[in-house]
Amino acid sequence: MIDKSREIIRAENLVKTYEDDSVPVNALRGVDLVINRGDFLSIVGPSGSGKTTLLNVIAGLDEPSEGRVYLNDKLISEMSGRELSDFRRDNIGFIFQSHNLIPVLSVEENIEYIMLLQGVPKKERHKRVEDILKEVGLEGFTKRFPTQLSGGQQQRVAIARAMVSQPALMLADEPTASLDSATGSELLDIMRSLNEKRNMTFIFSTHDKLVMDKARRLIVLKDGKIASDEVKE
Amino acid sequence: MIILKIAFRNIFRQKRRTLLTALTIFGGFTLAAISIGWSEGTYSYTIDMFTRNQMGHIQIHGKGYLDKPTLYNTINNYRQIGETISGLEGLEGWCPRLYSSGLAAVAEKSAGAIIIGIDPALENEATGFDKKVAEGKSFSKDPAHEAILGSGLMDILNADIGDSAVIVSQAADGSIANDIYEIVGIVESGDNLSDRSSFYLHLSDAQELFVLDQRVHEIAIISEELGDVDELVVRIKSAVGESGLSIEPWQEFAKQFYVAMQADKQGAWIMIFIIILIVAVGVLNTVLMTVLERIREYGVLRALGTRPIQIFRLIILETNFIAVGSILVGLVASTIINYLLSIKGISMPDSITYGGVEFTKMYSEVNAISLYIPAITVIVTVSLVSVFPAIKAARTSPSKAMRIH
Repeated sequence: MIDKSREIIRAENLVKTYEDDSVPVNALRGVDLVINRGDFLSIVGPSGSGKTTLLNVIAGLDEPSEGRVYLNDKLISEMSGRELSDFRRDNIGFIFQSHNLIPVLSVEENIEYIMLLQGVPKKERHKRVEDILKEVGLEGFTKRFPTQLSGGQQQRVAIARAMVSQPALMLADEPTASLDSATGSELLDIMRSLNEKRNMTFIFSTHDKLVMDKARRLIVLKDGKIASDEVKE
Repeated sequence: MIILKIAFRNIFRQKRRTLLTALTIFGGFTLAAISIGWSEGTYSYTIDMFTRNQMGHIQIHGKGYLDKPTLYNTINNYRQIGETISGLEGLEGWCPRLYSSGLAAVAEKSAGAIIIGIDPALENEATGFDKKVAEGKSFSKDPAHEAILGSGLMDILNADIGDSAVIVSQAADGSIANDIYEIVGIVESGDNLSDRSSFYLHLSDAQELFVLDQRVHEIAIISEELGDVDELVVRIKSAVGESGLSIEPWQEFAKQFYVAMQADKQGAWIMIFIIILIVAVGVLNTVLMTVLERIREYGVLRALGTRPIQIFRLIILETNFIAVGSILVGLVASTIINYLLSIKGISMPDSITYGGVEFTKMYSEVNAISLYIPAITVIVTVSLVSVFPAIKAARTSPSKAMRIH
């Protein structure tokens, strides 16, 4: 029996075909997937297996050619551009391979960005920024700009930015790719701890063994299809 | 607010490119402002030469005189009209004139002449007649059978100051008007055409010659400000009434001149259009370059939940910040340049003649129109050319943009 109350993502028969130099590429070939609240899962597979495409389709950054994606029972594959923007802002946190911070905003302003779009009051924003910076170990860095931080510190800010608005779902595309293994491991521990404390759902797309080891569920994609879906004990 | 902040700070990211865009806008604005100031100044100066120095800004005639000027169509109560209008707000001066034509002769030489009877005191007060007397002297206060001739007419008649000049014409009572006058001065009005035929007499002498006692053909009026002429016309009309009189501004009684000036002005706008077009292409180029370079960043902003309209606003704001800054600097620069050119002017390498008036120097003008028209045009142009890159940025597909490294 399916426990719908635990479900956060339901993807049905996802197909994504795009053209690369007029050659059709089948990135996803019928993916069915259910992700539960509080999952800490990794999507792995060789390059070109469709990991990033699956992540993009789940996040509403890409439209599927066929199939449907539901997030919290809302069909996101049929939303308009503006609805999708608002939906992403309120429900999804992104951690990118390269941190992608806004270079002209300070650490504090980068973290506040989504809350500003959401219209969160100033007092509340400042409190949340303070709390999240403590959690990612960047107290005292509020006024610095991205260029004044190391790669690891920038990725911590990116994690803080993604999580500060407490989204239902966190998507991380190769989050450790540009970090050394010690920093990568440290950041994964922070994410794991947030996942446990806040029951936040994390989906990683990765090649990194470290991420695979820390994940509690591992989905292997091959040629645009799910080859295996394993929940670790 | 956050979009405003990002837009503002983005200006300082690529300082060289911002400077290039700012210089293009600043250059375009300043050139346009100077062009307009220059063209307005030149027109004002030319109009002033025609009106303030000669024709007046407003003229009163007997009805129909301008269409068919005859000796008999006169203003019979010019003193009363003059007294009525002389206190009006915005009126600087007025002067009566009597016109006729005749044959002027000095010794063996003769030529056709336009005889102009003027009241020396009023004419001098209104149009600075004495300043136009290049040689000799102006009229004595009381009529003394003196004549002042245009320099061209003096040459034709081969006359000198002190010579006697004879006028032969027809008087209003049908008799032959002829008399002899002493040439006391030579006029150089700046209008070469008119100087080849002008034969000035004291108004009383002219009235006596043409048997037009207490009558004149024209009252020329000088307004304090060129821009207030239409309002002054209204005030004069309500003060003296219009029965039997036609009260016209210079645009009406010098219609051909006015139309030629307007046509010339249109030509100046073509130059402004070309300047603005260059600004538009320059700005489009740099904004488009910026958008293409930051496409990944816009993708990230979209992924984070920024709405397309907010991205659009970001681009428009950023460009407008640069435009406003450049315009503010341009305002100062163009005002200083226009001010200097309005005082010192620019000497023409060769004098130019416009409608018979010779110009050796041209002046610019500091006015609001030369600032707000380029400012509005530049802001609108910059905003318009930013629309295409802004739409491009707003439509950025986050997934595609983030694949760009």
